[in-house]
Amino acid sequence: MALHRFAFRAMAAQNEVQIHAHDARLARESAARAIDEVARIEAKFSRYRPASAVSRINAAAGGAPVAIDAETRQLLAFAGECFRQSDGAFDATSGVLRRAWRFDEGHVPSDAELAPLLRLVGWERVELGEDNVRLPLAGMELDFGGFGKEYAVDRAALVLAQAGIESALVNLAGDLAILGPQPGGEPWRLGIRHPRKAEHVVATLAVASGAVATSGDYERFIEREGVRHCHILDPRTGRSARGIRSATVHAPSCVVAGTATTVAMLKGARHGLAWLENLGLKHLCVLEDDTIVDRFA
Amino acid sequence: MRDAVIKLACCALALGIAACANVAPYQRGYLARDDMSLDGNPGTAKALEKTYAAKEAASGGATVGGGGCGCN
Amino acid sequence: MRAALALPILALPAKSGAAAVGEVGFAMLGYKERGLMKVSEPLIWGRAEFAEVWEVRGSALVDIITGASPQLVTNQSGRPVQSLTGASVRERRYAGDLKVTRRFGDYAFSVSRALSDEHDYHSRAFGLEGRADFNHKNTTAIVGYGKSNDRINSHDDATLNKQRVTEEYLVGVTQVLTPTSLVQTTLNWARGDGWFNDPYKLTFTFFPTGFPAIVPDRRPDHRDTFAWLTRYRAHFPGAHGTLQADYRYYHDDWGITAHTLEVAWQHELNERWSVRPALRYYTQSAADFYSPVVPTRPPPPILSSDQRLSAFGGLSPSLRVARRFANGILVEGTAGYVHNASSLRLGGSGNPAFETLRAVYGIAAITYPF
Repeated sequence: MALHRFAFRAMAAQNEVQIHAHDARLARESAARAIDEVARIEAKFSRYRPASAVSRINAAAGGAPVAIDAETRQLLAFAGECFRQSDGAFDATSGVLRRAWRFDEGHVPSDAELAPLLRLVGWERVELGEDNVRLPLAGMELDFGGFGKEYAVDRAALVLAQAGIESALVNLAGDLAILGPQPGGEPWRLGIRHPRKAEHVVATLAVASGAVATSGDYERFIEREGVRHCHILDPRTGRSARGIRSATVHAPSCVVAGTATTVAMLKGARHGLAWLENLGLKHLCVLEDDTIVDRFA
Repeated sequence: MRDAVIKLACCALALGIAACANVAPYQRGYLARDDMSLDGNPGTAKALEKTYAAKEAASGGATVGGGGCGCN
Repeated sequence: MRAALALPILALPAKSGAAAVGEVGFAMLGYKERGLMKVSEPLIWGRAEFAEVWEVRGSALVDIITGASPQLVTNQSGRPVQSLTGASVRERRYAGDLKVTRRFGDYAFSVSRALSDEHDYHSRAFGLEGRADFNHKNTTAIVGYGKSNDRINSHDDATLNKQRVTEEYLVGVTQVLTPTSLVQTTLNWARGDGWFNDPYKLTFTFFPTGFPAIVPDRRPDHRDTFAWLTRYRAHFPGAHGTLQADYRYYHDDWGITAHTLEVAWQHELNERWSVRPALRYYTQSAADFYSPVVPTRPPPPILSSDQRLSAFGGLSPSLRVARRFANGILVEGTAGYVHNASSLRLGGSGNPAFETLRAVYGIAAITYPF
């Protein structure tokens, strides 16, 4: 059994598929199919492509319902359940806030700039039908950024499993799914990077199966007057998440792990950690004062 | 009465094979739980094996080749 | 989150650390009948997978029985009652079993061997089992054949050396119903030939006139049995628990029909602790040749007053508490109460001679995965 590694670029990042297989050709073919699946999902749910399903829905905001297929509907239903389970912290309509937050320019918006955008945020307004969806206000937007990459990880893992692969790791820029332990029952070893020191690992996790996702306040941020504003924005206030520097969650699927990390960051240290405990998900969080809460065992 | 019961049992078997919902591999997460297993923890199950059987006339179940005992 | 299960993705069990290739466990059973018998049973068991296609499982135990078992049913007091004759005994039973399974893709084949030895009873059995998965493992069919050779002696009678051969057949199917439920139903026939009598039991009956009769336990030399077992499991994520229900219908050609129903709810208190309350109900009819008194003079050729062949019912509640540790170690404790009585028989009409049985048991078990 050899380890086959396949690096590829997608979703504006460097990604990797690692497969343990006897058959090199099987490893190559199944990796190619998994990479194709990631490309398919990127094309279908990307905000940046005008022909994508998401762009079509957003373009029709304030107008008629848009027909959607089963996959889109299931993802929107999932986003809806996350909204409810997180008491409104996870909101797939909060993407409009990025119009006020311009991280590349280092601009921290004022309340006045956020107010009109906040009026367009609110999952409870989304009208999700059996095979269609409607955004009632012009300017409202659906943003799959909070779970699209994680869904691609899960789908890529499924493609590998269907090809007969039993030991593999799919890594899309830090969001991973693991199909099974390495040969001999050995777990895969994952390093969680330190939220402030990029070259350092704050913990190593031994994972035999499941998905691991990490959210951090170091991915895109602005620091002003000693306060860090990160890209994880609270849909209710329009402001950044506070209290947790990075959250890593281990769950049976990457969509669950990824949304859990986002919600934990938004709920802050006390409520976020309690919420993760309540869900029974293994997690490791680095708090604002650099303490590490390790509930991974 | 007994024949009717046997016929009913065979029908239940056949119905099972005729398949109910088709659950895809990616939906099997819950089915793999320990408490969904049919036999339970082997240690506890083995310990309980003769506890009731030694006081009752009925025997038989889902396995063969178990052997007997004096069970007094 | 439940909606994630509706997505066309995998639900990978979230396992950290190395994957288990097997487990070993220890358990201890303590059983006490009011006034009568006490059983202690330490046991060890294990399971291991090799080379992805082999699985071996086995167990070994010692039954340590102290106290006495009723040997005589006498109507000396006017009503038939169980009575103890000899001094209390101390018996040991040694038992072990081994099962080897080889997987061939969607099929698996197993061979098993079981042994049980006590001073007056020796049993050797083997089993063959075949399994096949269909429908993406939604349906599994099993067939099995087993044969058991038993040798019966008596510590009261050194000349007693009898045999019994039992052959059994099994056919069953397991079917996944929904992502959270499944059901298994199996049919099990057994055919036994040889010595079925209990070498220690006697029926002692006084008649209004003439001599009393002392009749040893005499049963047919053949027994055909049929058991139909159906097991249902359903998980309710919202309620954090799983429903486990088992029903068995039993009938044999000795005239006994029995029903067993056990319902349990395994409740997850949190990631580590779970509790499982359960209730088991049992009811059986009497064997055709069962009688607590000798009914005729001369006595019938086949007669037994062993109350395990009489009509009665039983109710047994139990509670299991389990704690799972971070490294996969599982510790389980079970406590149960057994209450068998003639009044508990379904529909009433249990044999009035049945002496109520009250017993408690406790099991402590620990499992180490490796």
